[in-house]
Amino acid sequence: MSSPLADRLDHGVASGIDASASAPAAEADDNQVSNRSSQPPAVRKLPPPESSADTRRRSLVVASFWFIVLCLGLPIWWKTTTIYRANLPLSQMTDWADGKTCSPVFPLQVSVEAPALQDGEAQNLMRITQYALETMTDFPGYRLQLEMPQTTTADQTTDPSRESNTALTIRLQPGDVAASTLHPHLPVLEVTYPPSSIPSPESSSNGFATYLATQLRSTFAEEQAIMSYLLATSSIPSDQQPQGSSLDTTESLSKRMTRSLKYSGTYHLTFSLFTSGPAPSSWDIEAAIDQYMKPVLDMLKPIHNFTIDTQVQLYAAPGVHSQVLSKEDLSSFINAAEWPLSPGIGGAPTVNFVVFTGNQTIGMDSETETSQSWLIPQWGSVYLLSPPPATHVPSDLLKQPILTFTSHLLSLLGTPQSGSLPMRLSTLTRIRSADLLLRASSSLGSLARLSLALPSISIPSSVADGVAKSMHHLELACANLGSTESLEHARIAEAEAERAFFEKSMVGQLYFPDEHKVTVYLPLLGPVGVPLVMGLLSELKAWRQRRQQKAKLS
Amino acid sequence: MRLSSILQLPVLLASSLLAPIPHVAAEHTSNWAVLVGTSRFWFNYRHLSNVLSMYRTVKRLGIPDSQIILMLPDDMACNPRNAFPGTVYSNSDRAVDLYGDNIEVDYRGYEVTVENFIRLLTDRVGDEMPRSKRLLTDDRSNIFVYMTGHGGNEFLKFQDAEEIGAFDLADAFEQMWEKRRYHEILFMIDTCQANTMYSKIYSPNIIATGSSELDQSSYSHHADNDVGVAVIDRYTYYNLEFLESEVQDLSSKKTVGELFDSYTYEKIHSHAGVRYDLFRGGTDAARSRLLTDFFGNIQNVEVDGAKNTTMDEEMLALSKTIAQLREIAAEEEAAASNASQPAKSEPTRSQKKIQLAKPLTDENWWTKKLVGATALAGCTALWALGSYLEAPRN
Repeated sequence: MSSPLADRLDHGVASGIDASASAPAAEADDNQVSNRSSQPPAVRKLPPPESSADTRRRSLVVASFWFIVLCLGLPIWWKTTTIYRANLPLSQMTDWADGKTCSPVFPLQVSVEAPALQDGEAQNLMRITQYALETMTDFPGYRLQLEMPQTTTADQTTDPSRESNTALTIRLQPGDVAASTLHPHLPVLEVTYPPSSIPSPESSSNGFATYLATQLRSTFAEEQAIMSYLLATSSIPSDQQPQGSSLDTTESLSKRMTRSLKYSGTYHLTFSLFTSGPAPSSWDIEAAIDQYMKPVLDMLKPIHNFTIDTQVQLYAAPGVHSQVLSKEDLSSFINAAEWPLSPGIGGAPTVNFVVFTGNQTIGMDSETETSQSWLIPQWGSVYLLSPPPATHVPSDLLKQPILTFTSHLLSLLGTPQSGSLPMRLSTLTRIRSADLLLRASSSLGSLARLSLALPSISIPSSVADGVAKSMHHLELACANLGSTESLEHARIAEAEAERAFFEKSMVGQLYFPDEHKVTVYLPLLGPVGVPLVMGLLSELKAWRQRRQQKAKLS
Repeated sequence: MRLSSILQLPVLLASSLLAPIPHVAAEHTSNWAVLVGTSRFWFNYRHLSNVLSMYRTVKRLGIPDSQIILMLPDDMACNPRNAFPGTVYSNSDRAVDLYGDNIEVDYRGYEVTVENFIRLLTDRVGDEMPRSKRLLTDDRSNIFVYMTGHGGNEFLKFQDAEEIGAFDLADAFEQMWEKRRYHEILFMIDTCQANTMYSKIYSPNIIATGSSELDQSSYSHHADNDVGVAVIDRYTYYNLEFLESEVQDLSSKKTVGELFDSYTYEKIHSHAGVRYDLFRGGTDAARSRLLTDFFGNIQNVEVDGAKNTTMDEEMLALSKTIAQLREIAAEEEAAASNASQPAKSEPTRSQKKIQLAKPLTDENWWTKKLVGATALAGCTALWALGSYLEAPRN
């Protein structure tokens, strides 16, 4: 084909859609002309020269197409395909996770009641004891703050359980020897002292003060050990942690912490009676629970709520059939495949309590020991009940199982083992709030790391809200660590952090191979892109030609 | 087109390696199994029987149904082409009916999607999702993940409609690790070019194994002439054979390494792959893990010694007293607050309130009102304009 023709074709493409439609027609005409007349191609008829207005219009057409693509198409494409990522306070979140924002040091207030002592004497004793406490180097993470109650009266009816911020009250009574006992009902340490041992105002150390400090320390020793265990297993790097956890207790502690359930505001307790035969077929479980377990559940109310259901299953075959159960047998005793032990009711985690009536016994290593129950970590416990004479199990036969379950429940909830009951409970509150605090912080840290690691994950604004709320409550919890409000705030913080992390819309396929992207975009970009680019190219070419001609002319 | 995600992979890898590794205790307290079949239709019978055989095995070894997530995209037992309605067999001797009468399918039919699978792993589910369909694991849970279906280089097809990529799987595991949702994972996959599926995983404490290398197919073991299709894949068949014969019950001491050593090319007709490098402690630690750590449900029970019942009773008495004390305190407090605000309840007389219709959400309330008002005004204006234009003609 001759070069002018090719040139014209180029022009045809360059002038956009309508022009390109007319180009083949022109070509056809041309051919006809050249065929009919045998004149040399040099005198071939050319189309009339374009007016400069037409050329300008064509440039404008091409430019307007590009303008629309660049200024409207591209932004719309960008906007619609961009993944929305809300701004997260990443550095603050990591700070929380690293324990830089809130050092989990519990200020415990210990109030001292010393009705028999002069004010000055008591103050002095407190000063020395405080000093002795602070110099105990192997007792980190705790700041025991001694204080006198504001109304220093000899009124014995002041009820320490109502002052929520006071962890322990020391009641000093004159006596023969230095001795201390924990009050069984109240968080009170009753200390007797020989009157001669009260320090003089000048002395800086004193035997009785040291004794008092040691007693206080041993009272909080277990709590402190648990707390250091929690910190050690948390995401906080070890250089941020208060040092000095005793390694010898870690083994048993780790076992106990493994056994305990993850914190939840509500637990679902399932009491099941499984029988190997047709009897017994009914039990007085409601009365038994009311009588033997309810008080403990009531007591735990500030920390946990409980929902309860019960069931009776006849002809339930256990997983092991041997008459004497060894310890290995016990782990497969629960017939998980057939026993209906997983009620999908509600959102609360289930604690299972199983009473099995049958004539199997537990074979212990030593002959003297006997046992009827065992605890399954994070799951519940089982009690083997020897078959009752009647088909109905009265509530007094259930007393022992329920009492066992109650103590198992306490250990499943992670209640510390030493100390009086009120002390154990208040310790549980503190441990749980520290646990929740650490867990919420670590969730925030995970979310921060995740949002950095997966740049294509979308982060809706609800996640940012959740993070903000969580951090707000973490601050509140941190501000009054150790109180019951702190537990409440920590609970909210943890729930919000979890919700933010597990945001439902933060999912979907994040990774698309390039082949997928090409196949999606090619059918669109091919037909649209080729005329656009070719039009621009030929327009540029024409523009250059015009300039050269202009230069030649001038 | 944004292809940047590929470029970010090394960065991602590096960040995961450099991130502080949280301390994980050696013991696990619960076992979970995620068993996923991904193909539909009658000629894929073997994939469903693969999954159901694994289901039967983990159940036999004590993992309760509540801790098994079973995803079956099709129901072979009720397929009209099934000559043995209501049953699924994985062997032509038809000795064991895998469907049985005690089977709990968590995700069935069109619920088996890539999205649901990733949601399951990362637990990004709505409140409406029942607990039985969620993977409620924690940092003490060992998880066995088994997948089977039709796959290719770095993907596994779900239901002929979509596919999960090796990157997505790896990212899902990483999210689980970040949230401390597992202790150890055994990932097993039986599909063509299966080893490519675990090649992108970068999270720690995962042992992975697959049936075949890149460009290798995974073959079926044998067909049942009466059922009319292949009933099981080779790789799964020999896994099951080992588990049935060597791991009779929870007391078995067979290790993961011994299972992996039993794979041979002669048996499987493809090169089964194993990946240990992610595991903390390396190859030796991974190989020495007991099979029952993943396939069974080990419970470390604590047997009570001879207990003195008086202690329990004492505790009961104590808690009664404390509950009473609390009640008294609460009453006193209530009395005190009553005394301080005596006539508070007086003015709140029962006023008859008319219940208004309450919108479900009150976000953008004003915007919505404004839009409504504008639309109304616009219609009025149009009407007015129309009648104005019409007026001169008459």
